[in-house]
Amino acid sequence: MSDPAQLSPSGKTALYGAAALVAAFELYAAWLGLHPSVTDSYRAYFIDQTTTCLDQPSAGAYQFGRLVSFRSGDEKASKPLRVCGWEGPVGDGLHAVGESSRLRFALPADASGLTLMLEMVAVDFAPNGIQQVSVVVNGRTLDTLIVRKGTPQRFTLAVPDTALGTDHQLDVELRYPLAIRVDPQDSNTRKRSIKLTAGQVTGIA
Amino acid sequence: MTIATEVAATPHLRSLGIPLPVVLVAIPVGFIVLGLVIRYLAYAAAVPDDSLGGFADGLCRWDCPWYVHIAERGYDPYPIPKMLGAGNWAFFPLMPMLVGVAHTLVPQPTVWVATVLSLALSTLTALIAWPLLERNLRAYTLFSAYLLAGPFSIYFTTIYTEVLFILLSTATILMLERRNYVGAGVFAGLLSATRIVGVVMAFAMLVQAFVDHRTAGRPLASFVPAVLKRPDIVLGLFLAPLGLALYIVFLQHWVGDGLAFLHVQRAWARAYGNPVVFVWDALTTWPTGSIVPTAPQQLAAAVLVGFGLSGLLAWRRQWAAASFVVICMIIPLFAGMASTLRFTAALAPLAILACLLLGRNRVVFGLSLVVFLVADYFVTVNWIGGALSLV
Repeated sequence: MSDPAQLSPSGKTALYGAAALVAAFELYAAWLGLHPSVTDSYRAYFIDQTTTCLDQPSAGAYQFGRLVSFRSGDEKASKPLRVCGWEGPVGDGLHAVGESSRLRFALPADASGLTLMLEMVAVDFAPNGIQQVSVVVNGRTLDTLIVRKGTPQRFTLAVPDTALGTDHQLDVELRYPLAIRVDPQDSNTRKRSIKLTAGQVTGIA
Repeated sequence: MTIATEVAATPHLRSLGIPLPVVLVAIPVGFIVLGLVIRYLAYAAAVPDDSLGGFADGLCRWDCPWYVHIAERGYDPYPIPKMLGAGNWAFFPLMPMLVGVAHTLVPQPTVWVATVLSLALSTLTALIAWPLLERNLRAYTLFSAYLLAGPFSIYFTTIYTEVLFILLSTATILMLERRNYVGAGVFAGLLSATRIVGVVMAFAMLVQAFVDHRTAGRPLASFVPAVLKRPDIVLGLFLAPLGLALYIVFLQHWVGDGLAFLHVQRAWARAYGNPVVFVWDALTTWPTGSIVPTAPQQLAAAVLVGFGLSGLLAWRRQWAAASFVVICMIIPLFAGMASTLRFTAALAPLAILACLLLGRNRVVFGLSLVVFLVADYFVTVNWIGGALSLV
């Protein structure tokens, strides 16, 4: 091959033909690469990057009414509730990472009159010692909370029955508009805001 | 030059009566044994409950478990099992595929199979680099030591992808030296299935063709028509990204996103920025209460040494190798300093050039060899200890 002048015309044709085939395949691969066929949550997190929380289909197994600790030690109960946007748990709770986090609670089919309790604390380095947390349940904003640093605070929110879907799941999204980049070069998926220490859903079932 | 004439041209070998092929095999084999002993001693010093059986597992750190997982169970589907945010799609397939095949043939623990395979691939790298090392036995010895018992041998003797990357890039450059563009394209195609920057070799091949064109005194304007008249170059250039294209098609089929290997970087919290700023920030991250350079400084030093050696490659008019190395170094720098030492260490043209320079003088050669072997020990201790600059 070092002397292509020695190639016969048919040899040259074969090489050009092989090159054309390979090029066609690579064009096909490039076309595929530009046309992903993915779920909305995948697209939002990986491709459009409109969220920092990859919403995966977690079942959210939950013993209705149980107070779950999100500090280390209660992982058996807390792990199934975590969907995304969390790191830990450690001794002082589950650390939120990114601009939003999600929890999921699977509820009894006849559950109604629900109350959601979240126990949270802002990170120590929060500007002015506070963080805002918007609580969105099944796509409906329930409230925007002010969470302070120091001692964990409990927040209790009533969940309208109309917010419950047919899948009997409580999909809780916590949004952190004041989340902080610890290092200016950090990705927004590493932003810090609050630590979740406990959670509970109560009501009639 | 034939091997017989090479033996005749090497007086000490001729006087010992040892055939050159035997010497060329014996040197890396010797360093395999030496390197294993050194790294085992480092492992024994770093791990309290060390055992021979736990040796390979003990060195399997950072990305290694990801490669083991792929070799044993393949790529993650989506949704990702265990609800992890990061699928293993960022890890290119050729190395874990080879390990997976070897593991099927030899049903022993994957890490051990990978270790043996990596040692074999490193040995093969040394052997095929012989002509690129200008058939200089001292440079060859240093290069063998570098791969098998040197400061970064941990990358070339476990399940990291670097061993295959350095082998295939060495093979591609050898093919380019011989102006065998189809051969270069085949190896470059495998390279682009090994690490994403492997695709850069297509550009290096184009550079080689351009240099040859200009060296032959042909005008700039006739370059493209001249290339198109060379079916071997055309095919070689299209073969180079074929490994990447195959991986894209696989990922599209597997998770619905052919570019998942790029998109998944988001889960690794990569922040993109200016490479110059990243290097400067790393260089000026001074240690506190110690004279030991910080991990960012060590990474920045590796990058600067790499660029320095790239300059030397250019000065020696090894334009294809220089362009390959520079682009391979710059691309990861856009995502920060992470792993830049490992990436730089696995750039074959740099390692070959460094060994050529260090092998020129007998005293420098001897000192370098000692430094390589001693560094193997300490780097392995730090590897086990979790030194961030080695990730």
